[in-house]
Amino acid sequence: MPPSATDRGFEALPGVALPDPAADPEAWLAGGVKNLAGLRSAGSFLLVLAVLAVFAAWVPAFLGTANLGLILAQSSVLGILGLGLTLVLITGGTDVVAGGIDLSLAGTLGLSAAVFAGLNQAGVGDAACVAAALGTGLAVGLVNAVAVLRLRIPPLLATLASMNICAGLELVITENTTISAASPLIDGLGGTGPLDVPVLGYLLLAVAFLFAASLRLTPLGPRAYAVGAHPEAARAAGLSMSRYRAGSYLASGLSGGLAGIASVAFLNSATGGSADMLLPVVATAFLGVVFSRRLVPTVTGTLLAALFVGSLTNGFQLLHVSTYWVNGIEGALILAVVGATAASAKGHAA
Amino acid sequence: MAAAEPTTRTLPDPPPALAMRDLIVTFGPTRALDGASLTVAPGTIHGLIGQNGAGKSTLIKVLAGLVTPEAGTIALHGNPVAGITPARVEDLGIAFIHQERLLVPTATVGEALFLGREGAGSRFGCLLGGLQKRAEAAIGRFFGIRLPRNALIRDLTIAQQQIVQITRALLAEPKIVVFDEPTAALAKREAEHLFAAIARLKAQGLTTIYISHYLAEIERLCDAVTVMRNGRDVAEVDPRRTSTAALTRLMVGRDVSDLFPRHRAEPGAPMLALAGVSVPPALRDMSFVLRRGEVLGLTGLLGSGAKELVQALFGLLPIKSGTVTVDGRVAHVANPHDAVRRGLALVPENRRAHGLALNLGIRENLTLASLDRVSRRGWLDRVRERAQALRLIGDLQIKAAGPEAPVRTLSGGNQQKVVLGKWLAREAGLYILDEPTIGVDIAAKAEIYRLIAGLAEGGAGILLLSTDLDELLGICDRVLVLYRGAIVSEHPTAGTTADSLLNATLTGAGACARACAETSRAA
Amino acid sequence: MSLVTAERRRLALPAAEIVRFGIPIALGLVLVAFSAAAPGFLTVANVTGVLVNNVALAAIVAIAMTLAVAAGGTDLSVGTAVDLGSLAFITAIGAGQPVALAGLYGLLAGIGTGLFNALLIARLSITPFLATLGTLFIGHSLQQLTTDGGNPVYVPADRIPAALAILGHGSVLGVPLALWLVLIFGVGAWLLLARTRFGREVLAVGTQVEVAIHSGLPVRRILTLVYVASAAIAALAGILLSAHVNAYVPYAGNAYLLDSIGAAFIGTSLSRNRRPNIPGTILGVVLFAFVTNGLLLVGWNFYWQQVGTGVLIFLTLAFAFAGPRPHV
Repeated sequence: MPPSATDRGFEALPGVALPDPAADPEAWLAGGVKNLAGLRSAGSFLLVLAVLAVFAAWVPAFLGTANLGLILAQSSVLGILGLGLTLVLITGGTDVVAGGIDLSLAGTLGLSAAVFAGLNQAGVGDAACVAAALGTGLAVGLVNAVAVLRLRIPPLLATLASMNICAGLELVITENTTISAASPLIDGLGGTGPLDVPVLGYLLLAVAFLFAASLRLTPLGPRAYAVGAHPEAARAAGLSMSRYRAGSYLASGLSGGLAGIASVAFLNSATGGSADMLLPVVATAFLGVVFSRRLVPTVTGTLLAALFVGSLTNGFQLLHVSTYWVNGIEGALILAVVGATAASAKGHAA
Repeated sequence: MAAAEPTTRTLPDPPPALAMRDLIVTFGPTRALDGASLTVAPGTIHGLIGQNGAGKSTLIKVLAGLVTPEAGTIALHGNPVAGITPARVEDLGIAFIHQERLLVPTATVGEALFLGREGAGSRFGCLLGGLQKRAEAAIGRFFGIRLPRNALIRDLTIAQQQIVQITRALLAEPKIVVFDEPTAALAKREAEHLFAAIARLKAQGLTTIYISHYLAEIERLCDAVTVMRNGRDVAEVDPRRTSTAALTRLMVGRDVSDLFPRHRAEPGAPMLALAGVSVPPALRDMSFVLRRGEVLGLTGLLGSGAKELVQALFGLLPIKSGTVTVDGRVAHVANPHDAVRRGLALVPENRRAHGLALNLGIRENLTLASLDRVSRRGWLDRVRERAQALRLIGDLQIKAAGPEAPVRTLSGGNQQKVVLGKWLAREAGLYILDEPTIGVDIAAKAEIYRLIAGLAEGGAGILLLSTDLDELLGICDRVLVLYRGAIVSEHPTAGTTADSLLNATLTGAGACARACAETSRAA
Repeated sequence: MSLVTAERRRLALPAAEIVRFGIPIALGLVLVAFSAAAPGFLTVANVTGVLVNNVALAAIVAIAMTLAVAAGGTDLSVGTAVDLGSLAFITAIGAGQPVALAGLYGLLAGIGTGLFNALLIARLSITPFLATLGTLFIGHSLQQLTTDGGNPVYVPADRIPAALAILGHGSVLGVPLALWLVLIFGVGAWLLLARTRFGREVLAVGTQVEVAIHSGLPVRRILTLVYVASAAIAALAGILLSAHVNAYVPYAGNAYLLDSIGAAFIGTSLSRNRRPNIPGTILGVVLFAFVTNGLLLVGWNFYWQQVGTGVLIFLTLAFAFAGPRPHV
């Protein structure tokens, strides 16, 4: 390498020894910048596209608007929950034990669905039902926020306990039966909107858009990430940690409530077994991490992960593959993607 | 009495920019501040020095609102302030450049730079926009350079992160700026640029508090310096009229003579030999020999490959080609476990992340690399382990409440002694020391140098990676200079000056000298 | 140390100790309250019943979980190991294999699960939480595929070997076998973590893995052993479970997952220096079991029991974590 390439572009300011990437890419790399993150998330996208391409090749109907809309609708409950968890992960940090996690989301979903359906069956109007369901979610979020921030219980334990409470209350309301529900709102939500896409699909996209916009276009985003990834930096910048974290639990509870309504609309009833959603929700939010350039939880990442998981289930059904495989494939995919990420992250760190 | 006074003074002195009085702070069993005071005149650069654990950092944390003092007063420009919180600091006109880089690793430069005040100066108050452009403009204004576009903080070098952090502090247009060890991670030329920036700030009427271990910097930059010891301020002096020796004496409370002990070992058999070792893309074709009883220095700028060399030797980076011979046998070191089994020991630069388990006790850290020696058939021999720990604590003069104290409660110097002790317990044969005295106070430095000399005299081989040229010249037998992934020159320390070493580091000069020497040796 | 600081330490101790003993005290209060409200609560029969039916298996699974937590991870696949161990065991019994051999198959299924986790965590450097989450999902599929969507596998009543009955219902010296196993594994795991070189290495890996690497510890081997041991112990719980009910019930193991996580972390917060430990974990399991039982005895219906358990655990946690935090 010709030594004359050194410090070019710095002539105006003698004494600066920082390598300039344009003048000397090799030295710049050696200096520590290895921008592989972009490649990595591109790899994850390619994998997803490859899987979708396989489905499309085998079953042309897979790519039809009607089917794509169906995937959106099928993913809406999981997606909305995953988006709520994403906010908690962003503001709390992704360390499962010490960081932010909300295990109560599935419980919130079940409880608010039960509240919604129960009130509906008791003849209460749509507006009040919606308010009650969302209020339920908000209340759970508030309990979590108080437990984590005021009582200083580790999030994993606090939300585990509130999940148990939610699951119990759900049983109290439903007495372990299915409560069917019918109303103009449920018909509307369960129907299809423009472009043959179900309304629930639009709901999911709307929530994702709302979250993404508030994280990307307002200072809320960088601040939430700072609070989660580097609390010391956030504190030094004068940000109130507890305010942002409490906000994330409230928002998460609210999405749990909304998911409850969506689930009643999708199934026309409140059914038990919402606790089974717990781990898929966690999986979706963590899987979403690999779709971001910075390898952090993002709204778009989680949305993509939810849709990806949804299209897997859907694709298998179209291919007449036993749905027994879906969980396994989903698990293997999480491992493949996360493993590839971890491997390149190792190279990155070294 | 009152009538006699006013005639001589018509204009009162301006009140001090900062007056901290009689502060007391206690952490658990230790009193971090024990009646410390600091007075800084407006528009000056005020140095703050003291050994690690003397209370400098705590004093600064009080000013930053991160620690609440139990007693004492603080006044800014003559106005008393009570209850400083991190949120109020900016309004009070104080900015900090902390020792730890308080930047979000996953943020972009723009996001990190404007965190918490994204709206300020942007066209749409609450909306983000143009952070990247504004960041470039700001960094260019203060430092005259540009950082790679769209890079995340974690992708930047430490020096680049430092620049982001300083720019961040300056953006708030503070009246008082506190620099806490700003040059610790900077190469000499980067530091020069920082000094120029600080001088510019002073010319604009800014008050600066400058904390550093490097007395040369203090003497050069500061108008006044406060010396701290054991949680109190012990003196305020004019650094330009005070000798380094006098400053050191104030810091330690006694003379630190003989900072660099010369070891008296004759180089013996080759301990470590590299032949054509390449670690792409950082290093290529590296060859040298380190003998028993020898202290071999290694230096180079960021990106010179010196860091990667050390990591590769310890099995943290894969060696692509070439051979490494340890103690006469070819060694394929695939991971640190292999390295340790072959008698290698690494004192890593980042001791808090890599060297010490901060939440474990001193005893548990000291025996971590030599558990085989304090256990019998897999069972820990707790009596022997404790004895071993107590012996090392005594030998190394580690100052702590006891062998069970968590190492996070120790000062930097004592922490570093624990890292060294971990390897002494193994009786390793080859010590790789990566910046062993960074963030260590001067008394502990002297003790670490004595330890290194003792190890060499005991027949160990020492490979010392450092950017502190005085340190290299003080304790090494030879120094290898790396530049862009290759050894460019070799300097026997006898007769080498810091200037010539610095020149080789910065320019890679001497490549010919070494090549010529090799040719003539071959001939 | 000066006199002043020594004095300060003595004064500071009680506050820390209150936090540490919060859960035992809470447990004591709960027990007192229940024995006052439900006369049947504090009887030998009831206590033994709870210990055998609610504590034993949960405790063994929680011990497995504690090993993973001590190594700095969370093993979400303990339930999977329980299930796969149970499935292999019952399948072998159903095929007429002797109980000992069937037990070996069950254990091997667990070890296989552990090796898979170890491959992901130690070789591929996947975060334990996500790696074991993947294993959990794959295990779920595996069970669906082998049981046609999740049908239980029963051992026909006429083909139940005598040894199986002993394993499931036998007792030694009047103490049920399952409780002996809790004792053996509890003491064993406690000694392993607290008294052996391996335990110290696990602690180092769990506290700061980079430091363990930089100290030359064989981190991959340590992690492999931990996850294999964790899954093997969980599989043993699965074998005991099957022996108890003479059947394999799909996904039954997952019921233990959340409680074992809760117990392990409650145990961690109990220890003076916040380290995962076996006695604390066992205490956590006992707390969960007796609260559920007590609510049952005071006459709450099944649905409200769930709510009550949740609320009580919540209050216990709030009590345990109240007060000053150690300076971090």
